[in-house]
Amino acid sequence: MTDLSQYLPILIFLGIAVGLSALFVFLPMGVSRLTGTHNPDAAKLSEYECGFPAFEDSRSQFDVRFYLVAILFIIFDLEAAFLFPWAVSLQDIGWAGWTTMMVFLAELALGLVYAWKKGALDWE
Amino acid sequence: MIQTIAFYLFATLVIASGALTVFARNPVHSVLWLILAFFNAAGLMILLGAEFIAMLLIIVYVGAVAVLFLFVVMMLDVDFAELRAGFVRYLPLGALLAIVLAVEIVFAIGAWSAGAINMGARIAPVASDVSNTQAIGQLLYTRYIFLFEAAGIILLVAMVGAIVLTHRKRGGVKPQDIGHQVRRRPEDATRLTRPESGQGVEL
Amino acid sequence: MTAWFASWGLTYEAAWLVATIVGILAIALPLMLAVAMIIYADRKIWAAIALRRGPNVVGPFGLLQSFADGLKVFLQETIIPSGANRGLFLIAPIITFTVALMAWAVIPFQAGVVLANINVGLLYILAISSLGVYGVVISGWASNSKYPFFSALRAAAQMISYEVSIGFILISVVLYAGSFNLSVITLAQKGNILGIFSANGLNPLLFPISVMFLISSMAETARAPFDLTEAESELVAGYQTEYSSMSFALFWLGEYANVILMCALNAILFWGGWLPPVDWAPLYAVPGIIWLFAKILLFFFIFSWVKATVPRYRYDQLMRLGWKVFLPISLFWVCLVSGWLMLTRYS
Repeated sequence: MTDLSQYLPILIFLGIAVGLSALFVFLPMGVSRLTGTHNPDAAKLSEYECGFPAFEDSRSQFDVRFYLVAILFIIFDLEAAFLFPWAVSLQDIGWAGWTTMMVFLAELALGLVYAWKKGALDWE
Repeated sequence: MIQTIAFYLFATLVIASGALTVFARNPVHSVLWLILAFFNAAGLMILLGAEFIAMLLIIVYVGAVAVLFLFVVMMLDVDFAELRAGFVRYLPLGALLAIVLAVEIVFAIGAWSAGAINMGARIAPVASDVSNTQAIGQLLYTRYIFLFEAAGIILLVAMVGAIVLTHRKRGGVKPQDIGHQVRRRPEDATRLTRPESGQGVEL
Repeated sequence: MTAWFASWGLTYEAAWLVATIVGILAIALPLMLAVAMIIYADRKIWAAIALRRGPNVVGPFGLLQSFADGLKVFLQETIIPSGANRGLFLIAPIITFTVALMAWAVIPFQAGVVLANINVGLLYILAISSLGVYGVVISGWASNSKYPFFSALRAAAQMISYEVSIGFILISVVLYAGSFNLSVITLAQKGNILGIFSANGLNPLLFPISVMFLISSMAETARAPFDLTEAESELVAGYQTEYSSMSFALFWLGEYANVILMCALNAILFWGGWLPPVDWAPLYAVPGIIWLFAKILLFFFIFSWVKATVPRYRYDQLMRLGWKVFLPISLFWVCLVSGWLMLTRYS
């Protein structure tokens, strides 16, 4: 049975951490209004560019390769997720369990080899 | 008591952020609300005593799947206002699905002779000295061995599919070939000459 | 600590709550102080390697430099670009800093001194560190500016790439300890090398992955030589370009808090955590927390040293190292370590 009382400090910690960081963000905004450093103007508020107004929308389309990296990451992350319970129960499941995992890893190693040969892991 | 409060807190937040996922105008906001929903669902899982599943929910869904979603909505320049114009057309189908889901929920609640919320005690048929990560491991790699291997095959297919769909060779690039670079000797690249004065070098 | 507060006449629940909050503050506030000092240390080490003097004006030996900087940014104006997505723009630093703090909840500082002693501690750290991507991506997207956006994409791809190999490396450690609990992992290392040394890293089978973990943790925290997210020659200041005042400082603080966390993880997973390096009774007279801090500082010195000496990677090199070197090796190592354990320990 999971000891839930160990998770409550994490929840409280989350609350305190969010509060603390929100304080850090919003307090200076208030302080700068009081001290008079808060005086924005149009040029100051424009986005950073090398001395000229931006030509195009900054949120442009980007390379599909990032998308592929994200998909490969999901797959390997899931593979790792299957390894976690296996790693802690290795002594109970014995050689049968070990062999099962080796077959599973071989399947994914095959996928990795495929990705490698196809050049999906290359970044030009 | 705290469990009950936490349950209602997480449950409310899941539903609220789920609703906001649907109603947010900006697709990026939608994804972020979805992440909040995943996060609170993980909280609910912890209340159930399923700490391993809770962590996986965050690692896999929040850490991996939602990153992909975010990439997709940031990358595709989809005009979501246009998509939303189809709302009325798809309303009957959506409503039907909603009704089916609602009926299922009612059945589920009916089947589960209701009581006080003490979920951890109800769904945790695990011996008290075994952590539930270990309990999953003991079953998954022995009794459910074929399902497990099937999952591996599915992942393989997913990987191959993703590569086939998104990978394209681009011409005109000069990728670095380390082996080539390392093999290259000074003799291949340079030439020592001693030209006479006024003669110059012939290249 | 709960018992001590209970002796003041509080009920058990109230005493527990007070003790927990005090515990949380005892982690969070010294951590922020440690970050301030470690930034100073970073600059000093970096300067020393470059034969410069580093900060030496504010306070004795320049020790108060970070606090002066902190005060300065605190009093500055928070600029929110007019094209930015206001809410998300301000939430991004909050996420970054919160995530950097949260991971410390499961770090054991000494025998029994840990805020949340959960079974899945290591998974919790993995989960929390996978959230770090969001602070970066959201800040880049919400800025609505070109360079932050590119930087955010790069950072996200880099972080997730190295998370894969970190996951597999952690599995090898978990195989040895048989648990995800960081205290158990630490204690499993007690005298594990010939009964003398307490460190997984000295095990010939685990030493290579301890090195890989060190390198991966540099890439995961986007430290030099993997600091492509803020490669100033290409991307101005990366995803923080549009930030100013304390919101900017929060990224800075979060980044260094993550670096210290990664140093702590290196120490706990491979070099014995709070245990003295040699399993010899008199060394236990020194409190465990001091051993842990000493190891953290040692690793931080390595981080700094690398930052000062190694040139920056190119993006394709970074990706190749992650996907084509670390991933296959760590995958292979899982098979190797588990096979070895099956042969020697479990059969």
